[in-house]
Amino acid sequence: MDRLKSTAWLIFIISVLAILYALIFNPANWMVYAISLVFIPLAILSLGLVSMARGKKEDEEGKTREPFIGY
Amino acid sequence: MNLMANILLNVLAAFLVGSVLFGLQRKIIARIQMRPGPPLIQHLLHTFKFFIKETVFPKTAAMPFYVAITVILCAIWIAAVIVGPVSEGSLLILFAIFAIHKIVEHNAGSSSGSPYGKLSCVRAVFSAAAEVPLFAVLILIYLQTGTMNLSDIITYQGTHGALIFSIPLAAMMFFVLILSKAYYYSPLNITLGKDLVSGFETEHFGVLRGFIMLSESISWYMLLWIFLTVFIGGLTPIGYLLGMVIITALVSLIDAITPILNPNHSVMTQVTLAFVGIVGTVLMIFYL
Repeated sequence: MDRLKSTAWLIFIISVLAILYALIFNPANWMVYAISLVFIPLAILSLGLVSMARGKKEDEEGKTREPFIGY
Repeated sequence: MNLMANILLNVLAAFLVGSVLFGLQRKIIARIQMRPGPPLIQHLLHTFKFFIKETVFPKTAAMPFYVAITVILCAIWIAAVIVGPVSEGSLLILFAIFAIHKIVEHNAGSSSGSPYGKLSCVRAVFSAAAEVPLFAVLILIYLQTGTMNLSDIITYQGTHGALIFSIPLAAMMFFVLILSKAYYYSPLNITLGKDLVSGFETEHFGVLRGFIMLSESISWYMLLWIFLTVFIGGLTPIGYLLGMVIITALVSLIDAITPILNPNHSVMTQVTLAFVGIVGTVLMIFYL
């Protein structure tokens, strides 16, 4: 597993735990708002990074070698 | 209900309803143009599809900002859901959220490194010049109701009748604002104009595009929710749904039959409508 996937898994687990904490323990309102603003977007993004397809290693060269990259 | 569960349910509802309304927008535009059009859930399917597509991060992208900007976009619209349906808070915070949305459009474009994104980022600043006068609608609402609090505005309308009848020009201004945020073929949405491919979203593809589409579905739902709450009053869930469908259909009709304006014409049209709305409403409040 590459670094991106393992980081995404870590963020996803932390985010889900934080959301579950707010769901189960009902903390103060400001904490629930903070958890919602930070961890709901992070949970969705990390889920996406986990579920997204990655190209083959051998195709990488052809994708990154561009004729012109500086706009 | 548990606050977190309330937020999660509202965010989920906003995403699902917003996505289907975007699908409805495409369907109506297609039917007017004599095409069958995609199914209603097409926008929703696209969003999910992008989450499993291959994603490549461009070399020219300014990392990690290129990724972080999508998180910020989602966070601000979750904040809007919290301020709106969850807690019925202040309109001023919603104004701040709209302002940050312009900054997000700007930065998403500039962080991508794409020339289309950069042009869109310039247009985001340009269009802010038109949308800020339209936001003066908040002052007009304050002048009429004496409050910026959503729950107080709903109470005010319960006793004095819907604001859409007492300050119709202010409602028109907010409708123009909604029109300028329509995702598909809006004559006023210059940041997503098709001459720029997908504007500030051009270089955000794969999972990041899916994430942006998810946030934009929430933003569409919230815009319609605010319009209905502020100008018609507290409705039942069916009332909100019906109102959202009617406004989306109206926006689609306008989108289908009007050309996409160039940036200068778009901004001038919005500024003119804002001027008419502000002056007209102030005159109505003080002299009628």
